[in-house]
Amino acid sequence: MKHVILGATALTLLATSAVAQEVTLGRFFGDCEDAGTDTSASVGEACIIQSIINAADAEIDGLSINTLPTDWGNYYDQIVAAYAGGTPPNVHVMHRHRVPEFANIGALADLTDDLEGAGIDPSDWEPAALEAVTYNERIVGVPMDIHANLWHVNMDLMEAAGLVEDGAPILPSSPEEMLEHARMVQEATGQDYLAADFAEFPIGVRVALALIWQQGANIFEGDTATIDTEETRNAISAITQLFDAGLSNPQLNYADSQQAFLNGEAAVLVNGTWVVDFYAAEAARDDEGLNSYFVADFPTLFDEGATWADSHMWAIPSPVKANDPDTYATALQVLAFINDHNLDWARTGHMAVRTSVLESAEYAALPHREEYTGTADIARDTPPSVRYGAIQDALNRELQAIWLTGKSVDAALADAQSDVQDLLDR
Amino acid sequence: MNRSYYWLIFGLSVPAFIWLVPTVWMVSLSFQPNELLARTTSSTALGLIPIPFTPDNYIALFRFGQVPMWFLNSLIVSVGMTLAVLAVSTTAGYALARLEFPLKTPIIILCLMGLMVPEQAVFIPLYTMFADWGWHNSHHALIMPRVAVPIGVFLMLQFFKAIPKDIEEAARIDGVGWLQIFWYVMLPLARPAMMTLAILTFLYAWNDYLWPLVSAQQREYFTITLGLASIQANFAQAEGLGRVMASGVVASLPVVVLFLIFQRYVVRAMTAGGTKG
Amino acid sequence: MPQHQGARLVLSQGQAAAILLLPFLTIYAVFLVYPFFKGVWISLHDWNLMAVAFNPDAKAYVGLSNYERVMWGSNITWGAWASPAFQFIGLAGAVASAWLYRTGRAGKVTALAMGGAALLLFVLPGFHPGEGGRWYDRRFWPTVGNTILFVGLAVPGVTITAMLLAAALDGETRAKAVLRTLFFLSQVLSVTVVTLIWQIMFSPRQGLIANLTQLFGGSPIVWLTAEGFAMASIVIATIWWSLGIAMILFLAGIQDISKDLYEAGALDNATGAKAFWYITLPNLKRTITLVVVLQIILHFQVFGQSHLMTNGGPNDTTQVLVRYIYQTAFRDSELGRASAMAVFLFVIMGGFSILQFVLGREKDQ
Repeated sequence: MKHVILGATALTLLATSAVAQEVTLGRFFGDCEDAGTDTSASVGEACIIQSIINAADAEIDGLSINTLPTDWGNYYDQIVAAYAGGTPPNVHVMHRHRVPEFANIGALADLTDDLEGAGIDPSDWEPAALEAVTYNERIVGVPMDIHANLWHVNMDLMEAAGLVEDGAPILPSSPEEMLEHARMVQEATGQDYLAADFAEFPIGVRVALALIWQQGANIFEGDTATIDTEETRNAISAITQLFDAGLSNPQLNYADSQQAFLNGEAAVLVNGTWVVDFYAAEAARDDEGLNSYFVADFPTLFDEGATWADSHMWAIPSPVKANDPDTYATALQVLAFINDHNLDWARTGHMAVRTSVLESAEYAALPHREEYTGTADIARDTPPSVRYGAIQDALNRELQAIWLTGKSVDAALADAQSDVQDLLDR
Repeated sequence: MNRSYYWLIFGLSVPAFIWLVPTVWMVSLSFQPNELLARTTSSTALGLIPIPFTPDNYIALFRFGQVPMWFLNSLIVSVGMTLAVLAVSTTAGYALARLEFPLKTPIIILCLMGLMVPEQAVFIPLYTMFADWGWHNSHHALIMPRVAVPIGVFLMLQFFKAIPKDIEEAARIDGVGWLQIFWYVMLPLARPAMMTLAILTFLYAWNDYLWPLVSAQQREYFTITLGLASIQANFAQAEGLGRVMASGVVASLPVVVLFLIFQRYVVRAMTAGGTKG
Repeated sequence: MPQHQGARLVLSQGQAAAILLLPFLTIYAVFLVYPFFKGVWISLHDWNLMAVAFNPDAKAYVGLSNYERVMWGSNITWGAWASPAFQFIGLAGAVASAWLYRTGRAGKVTALAMGGAALLLFVLPGFHPGEGGRWYDRRFWPTVGNTILFVGLAVPGVTITAMLLAAALDGETRAKAVLRTLFFLSQVLSVTVVTLIWQIMFSPRQGLIANLTQLFGGSPIVWLTAEGFAMASIVIATIWWSLGIAMILFLAGIQDISKDLYEAGALDNATGAKAFWYITLPNLKRTITLVVVLQIILHFQVFGQSHLMTNGGPNDTTQVLVRYIYQTAFRDSELGRASAMAVFLFVIMGGFSILQFVLGREKDQ
C-alpha cells in the first residue's frame, strides 16, 4: 500500500522533472493517519506533527518523507537498535535528555556550520533551547519546543472550595497549605484534590524532582548520587501526605488520571504542556465533567520555583552527513521546515523555542497561553548523563514502591541511592 | 443424552461465556465513538453492546493502509516460515529416521542439544550478526532464526520412525531410489504430521513478539503483532481507544476465521502430534 | 516411475542422507550454533551496543566479570534459613523424593531429578549478602524469582483448567464441539491482542471488571498497579490465552484411554467425577508430564505480558528475566551483561529440557 503511494508520488515528481529524494523520519508522539497538510487546523501532538510532516512532503520539491515508528513505549530501544543495525532514520526526534547518550559516541551529525545554509537561524532560538541541542559546544539538533509539567485545573471544583480569586485558582505555597487546600476541595465537592500518573510513566518522579529542586537540592551532582537526603524526604512526604489522607489516588496510570480529571473527579491534574489543547477542547464540549479549565504554573511549595522540563528536538545521524550528502541536504530542509512551523507545534501547548515566535501576537493569542507564562523561568531538569533513562527508571521504580507497595521511605531511598550510584559508576 | 448431560453443558456455558466476554468487549468497543470512550466504556450493558454505534474506527483504519500492511507482513513471514520449516524438517527428519550413514548418532545428539537453546539466549548475537550483514528490516530476517530450531526435525523424525519398515522395503525391492521414496512414499504418509508442524509453526510465527521487536525497526516490516504493540501505548489509548480496539479486531479476525474453517483439521492434527510426540 | 530408476539408484544411502540433511544442518549451524557461541563470547566482553556499532574496537575482554556483576555481590554468605519459605520447600521436596523412591512410587531417574531440583531450591536461596555486603545487581535475583513465581502460577493454572475442561468436553456432541471451539479460540490471538484486551479489562476506570464491581457497589481493584494483583493479572491473561493447546493435548490423551476401562468402571459405579479421579487421572500421567514441562519451558520465556501490561511494575514485582535481558541490551546498550543473563537463562532452560528428555525416556522403558 505504502509502496504504491510512494511510487505514485515518485512518478508525479518525475513528471515535474525532479527526482524524489526519500527521507526516512523517526518520531514518537503516536499515530495520526488522517492528519492532512493543514498545519493550522490539526489537534493534538500526533496530528499536529504529522500535518507538518505531510506539508513538508507536499510543499518541498523533490522530497518524499517516509515516517517510521511513532510509538512511545519502545522508541529509544528501537532507535538504539536501528543505529546499532546501521539503519537509523535520516531524521529523528529525540528528547534533550538523550543527547549525551547519542552524542557521546558521535552518533549525531554536527549541524553547527550547515544550519544557516539550510535557512535555520540559531540566533533566533531561546538560550535554553540552544543549550538543549548543544553538546561540547557543537549544535547537534534543531529544538522544537520546551515542555514542562503544569497544573491543569478544574475551576468549577476550585470555585466550590473557595479557592478562586480574580479568575485564577489559589494554589498552595507550602506542603501544609496544599494539604489544607486538598481538604477544602474534599469537603466542598467530595472529589480528589490532585491526580497524576503516579503509577506508570515517570510523571510522579517529575513531581518529586520539582519539589527537590525547589529546596535547592538535586538527585546527583557529578558522579555522586545525592538521593538519600532530607530534601528528598520532604518532597516525598509532601506528596504522600495527600495519599495518606485519601485526597489523591496514587494508583492511577496516565490514561486513568487523565480520565479522572476530564470526568471532574480531580481538581488538579499534574501533566505536561502537551495536553493543553486537548483538555481545552474537552472542556469546551457541552457535557458532564470538566467544563471550566485553567492552566497554572507548577506552584512553589518550598523556597524557589522549579518544575520538570525537557525539550523535543530533531537530529540527523552522523553517518548520513558523512556518507550521503544529498540525503543530508534534504534532511536539513525538513528540519528547516519544522523550524519554520514552530508556531503550529506550539498550538499543542508546548512552549516555542524561537524568540520571534514567542514575541508574536499569534503565540500570545493561543488558548490559555497567558496562564502559564512563568513556566519558562522555572523549567529545570537533572544534570545531563548518558544513563538518564536508566536513572529515571530506577527513581520511578523506587518512588512507586513507596506509594504503591508500602515500601518504607528509608529502604526505597537507600536502594535508589545505591542503584543510581551504580549507574553513575558504570 | 440424559439429564446430567444437559446440566454439564449448561454448567459449562457459564465459564464459556465468561471466556468469550473479553473478545466480545473488544469488538463492541471498536464500534463506539472515541470521544465517548475517553469518558466511559460502559454506556450500554457494561459496554458489551455497541450503542451508540459508529463504524468510523474501521473506516479510519482502512483509509490509511497501516494495519493491512502489517497484516500482509505477518502473513508473508508466517507462511514463509512455515514452508521453510516444513522443507528442512521433513528432509532432515526423514534422513535421520530412516537412513543409515556415518556420524548419524552424533548429528542427532547435536540437534537434540539445539532443543535446549531458547530464542532469548541467541537473540542478542543474532541481532549483531544481522546488523553486520545489513539484514534487519527484511522478511527473511524475521523468518530465518526460527527455521534453525530443530523441534520440527524431531517431530518428523518421530513420525517417520513409526512407519513400518515393509513399506520402504517393498519400494527398495522395486528399485526405487531413496529420494523418490522420500518424495513419493514418505511425504504423502507424513501429511498429518506436517499439518501439525505447520500449525504449530504458523501460530508461533504469528505470535512472536520479541524478535520482530528487535529486528524490525521500520514499520514497513512490522508484523501485526508488533504493529499492535506500537499503537497500544497508553497515550494512544487515552485518546483513541476505539481505533486501537478496531486494529485488534482486524488483526485477529482473519486468524480466527482461518481457525474456524480448518478447526476440525487443526484439532485432529494436534491430536496426532500430541499422541505421537 | 520405471524410466527413472537407473539414474536415481546411483545415490547411496549416505549421499541421499547428505543431500537431505544439508539444508537443515547449514541453517542450524549459521543461525543457532554459531550465534549461541557468539553469545557466550559476547558475555565475556564489556560490549556497548551503540559504541561498538560506531567503532568495532570499542569492546574489551573482561573475563567472567559480567557474570560476577550480575549474579554475585560483596560479602556473600550462605545460611540454611536465609530464605525459609523456599528453603523449607526445597528440603521437604528432597525428603519427599527420597521417600517416593524408597517406597517404589517413583523411578530412580525421576527421584534423582526431583531430588536434585529440590536440593537446588534449598541451596540457592541460602546465599545472601552478609554484614555490610550487597548484591552487585540488586534486581537480578528478584527478577529470576518473579519469573519462577509466574511459571509457578501459570503452569498449574493452565494445566488444571485445561485438564478439567478436556475431561468435561470429551465427546462427539455438537454442543461440546462448540464449547471446545470457544475455549480454544483465544489461543490463536497474538500476544499483543491479548495484552491489549486485558490491559483495558483490568483498567480501574475504563475496565470491564471495574465497571462490574462498581455495578455491585464495590470499589474497583487497581489490578495492574497494585502489588498484590499485578502478577495475578498477567497470570490470568496468560491462562486465558494459552489454555487451548494444553486442552487439545489432554483431549488426545483422554481419547487414548481405552473405553473398556470406563465400561468396567461403570459396573463398579464409577462415573462422572469418580471415573475422572480413578480412571482418567491415573491414565493421563504421561500427558500431564508432557503438558507441564512444555508449559514450563514456554512460560519461563514470558515477555510480552510483562512488557506491555505492567512494564515490569509496580516495584519490579512483574519484572521477568527476558524483559530484563531485553532492557539491558537495547535500552542500556550493555550487550555483555545482557548476554551473561541470556547464558543463565539457557542453563535453566537446558536443565528443564534435559529433565523433559529424561522423564520421557523413563516412561518408555
